[in-house]
Amino acid sequence: MRGTLTVLAALAVASAASAQTTLTVITHDSFDVDKKLLTAFETQNRAKVRFIKGGDAGELLNRLILTRRAPIADVVYGLDNSLLPRARQAGILQPYKSPLLSRVPAAYRLGDDGLLNTVDYGFVALNYDRAWFEKNGVALPKSLDDLKSPAYAKLTVVQSPATSSPGLAFLLATVNHYGEAGAWQWWRAARQGGMKVTRGWSDAYYKDFTRNGGKYPIVLSYASSPAAEVFYADGFNPAKLPAQPPTANLFLPGSTYTQLEGVGILKGTKQAALARKFVDFMLSAPVQTDIPTRMWIYPAVKGTPMNPVFTFAQEPQASSVKADIAANPQRLVDAWVTQVLRAR
Amino acid sequence: MNLPKLTGWLLALPGLIFVTLCLVLPLARTLREGGVTLDVWRDPYFQGRLAWTLTQAAVTAGVAALIGVPLSFLLSRFEVRGKALFLRLLLLPFVTPTLVAVLGLSALLGPQGWVTRLTGVDLSDTPALLVLGNLFFNVPVLVRLSYAGFARVPGNVVGAARSLGAPWWRAALGVALPLALPGVLAGVVLVFLYSALSFGLPLALGGERFATLEVEIYTLTALQLRLSEASALIVGQLGFTLLATWAYVALSRGGVGVPSGGLPRARGGARAALLGLGGVVALVCFAPLVAVALRGVLGTSGFTLGYWQGVLADPDTPLLLWNTVRFGLMALAGATLLGGLYALGAWRAGSRALDLVSLLPLMVSPVSLAVGYLLAYPVLAATLPMLIAAYTLLAWPLVVRSLLPALRAIPPRLFEAARSLGASRSAAFRSVTVPLAFPALRGGGALALATVLGEFGATLVLTRPEWATLSTGLYERLGRPGERNLGEACALATALLVLATLAFTLLDGGEGEVT
Repeated sequence: MRGTLTVLAALAVASAASAQTTLTVITHDSFDVDKKLLTAFETQNRAKVRFIKGGDAGELLNRLILTRRAPIADVVYGLDNSLLPRARQAGILQPYKSPLLSRVPAAYRLGDDGLLNTVDYGFVALNYDRAWFEKNGVALPKSLDDLKSPAYAKLTVVQSPATSSPGLAFLLATVNHYGEAGAWQWWRAARQGGMKVTRGWSDAYYKDFTRNGGKYPIVLSYASSPAAEVFYADGFNPAKLPAQPPTANLFLPGSTYTQLEGVGILKGTKQAALARKFVDFMLSAPVQTDIPTRMWIYPAVKGTPMNPVFTFAQEPQASSVKADIAANPQRLVDAWVTQVLRAR
Repeated sequence: MNLPKLTGWLLALPGLIFVTLCLVLPLARTLREGGVTLDVWRDPYFQGRLAWTLTQAAVTAGVAALIGVPLSFLLSRFEVRGKALFLRLLLLPFVTPTLVAVLGLSALLGPQGWVTRLTGVDLSDTPALLVLGNLFFNVPVLVRLSYAGFARVPGNVVGAARSLGAPWWRAALGVALPLALPGVLAGVVLVFLYSALSFGLPLALGGERFATLEVEIYTLTALQLRLSEASALIVGQLGFTLLATWAYVALSRGGVGVPSGGLPRARGGARAALLGLGGVVALVCFAPLVAVALRGVLGTSGFTLGYWQGVLADPDTPLLLWNTVRFGLMALAGATLLGGLYALGAWRAGSRALDLVSLLPLMVSPVSLAVGYLLAYPVLAATLPMLIAAYTLLAWPLVVRSLLPALRAIPPRLFEAARSLGASRSAAFRSVTVPLAFPALRGGGALALATVLGEFGATLVLTRPEWATLSTGLYERLGRPGERNLGEACALATALLVLATLAFTLLDGGEGEVT
């Protein structure tokens, strides 16, 4: 035991000693960036960047709120527009507007207070299994109203707004489309009609989606997923792209949600200058170009070249969700839990 | 307090300090932050969750007992070829990351699963799949536990019944079972506890309809930050798990004796029963693993090594392997050291309280602990010592639970005999106690390692990319769409299982028991 304690103490001291030139960046679990770019940043600034994975974006925010009195990182990447209001309310971020934001279209900027600088955006959207619909000769649904009828509800799997970020995005989209009371009615009808609600994205996509052995040919995922399906297909050859992706987007009016992900500086950082440089780094051209095929999202900076595989992903003509709906998502989740999930 | 008792408590002290720092304090911190108000329990929704949690755990424990108890009796009474290998392979479900088990189960029993297509019975979206998943993880626990219980029933007692004309099943029910009952019941209680508190499985298989309390605690804590409601659920859950654990500790103290050697070969009805039950257990526990391994080599157009090539070509793979081995060994060292001392201490002190404490890590919801770590040790939040401590915490009870019954089963007379023949205290300890307890330590070590290899303590601690292990690597792949991601995740899962089998072969003779 004494041995263990000594080792623990030594390790703690070692990590504290190297902390002087270390920038700690906390991210959601899906974060990934080319290591070469990172090394270049480290050399340029004579600093070490330490990444911490903080869970799903929602978990990440909660962890930051819990530790706001003793911040565990300097920079956070991965909070999005639906989480920003809570982050703002909790006062965990300090403002910094990157000069590179001028290259991000105004529509994609996350508020004027500079708490989060948009790095990328993506769309939560329904996908469908092309082969299933062709084989079974079923027409695609045309509206969310169609989707709640048992004919289509039985074919649909979505994630729970209470436990998954795409689920929450979809909830906000439906509330935006129907209004609150209408949205609860829609959800209740869809659930009664047989729509499956899973806890997280992985089990919906890899267990319940027909393409991976499930029985639901419509799944809540991302608009970029069809492109990823092509990219990660067996025998993918960038020079010889297929004519069609195996899955496709189902942009029903009111079913898509634009997610803006940003990077921000945590209050209480002792590395403010370095933190600002890291924010700029995330918006720099090399990182922006690197992002799409690593995280399957769109770079925020206008004119960033895209991998050709993204021709298989479409950007929906989505009206963005009204500000008052995005302002307090937690209230809507609570309401969903009582009005839909626990309603019998 | 007499001297052996005092020495016992002193030996257990490091373990007690460890549990206080890594479990009691963080948990208390979470509960304080939440402020426990028990109003939540008036909500019929949560009452329903509690009822469902207990029901599915009871059903699992019952079914596991029906299959596992007769099988382990037969295994303990007859010479069976490949028995050690079978018992060793039964550790594999322990290593299997939940999502892999889910993939394996749905490859077999999902709507388009191989079994479903053969039989036409679709179990998806029913609680049956959750119970099957529970059985996958827990039948092995029960088999290994009750095997150990039956193995300690002296062979001549059963032999006497047989020579008086009783068929093997009469001897089993009338003679062996009553003698082994405490051990067997302890196993049933442990399976009940494991199933009641399992988290990943109901999270993935249960959807919203079949969520258990542990899943609700996770949702309220990690995602909704409603700590006061979560705390109320945690306290309620602790209430019933403490009750179950108390029963377990009381039961598992029985069963003294030395395993008998020289077993007869099974014939006739016993042979048929062995094959039948063994087949069922193998099917429940190994078929999902085989299915996953197959998915790792089956592409859209038949057999392919492409996923394996993809995994092997990935520059990160050596890191995943190295981390898995490294963390496994570090936690194994910690758990063996702390657990070994603690078990010795608990044995010498003969204290029921010490017994109970070693089970705490199995009873407390990991998610609530994770919050406690953040609140109590923010500076250590993403440090390696914290990660290793978390792994050790998960692995430690398994070493203790394995070693304790073995120590208790050593007849005191053996030690005294060595002493009266002139051996010093320490010499007698080295030549009598250590060799007799060593197989159990090896078995416990194997189980401890299994926990670490499979379920990453990452759930407790904030992780870092450079700490990625085989299991986090496969979870990462399952977070992106596309058949190559699924295939490579299955290949990584297979690699994990192969690695685990190797480790178990080195560590475990297959006879290790855990109670």
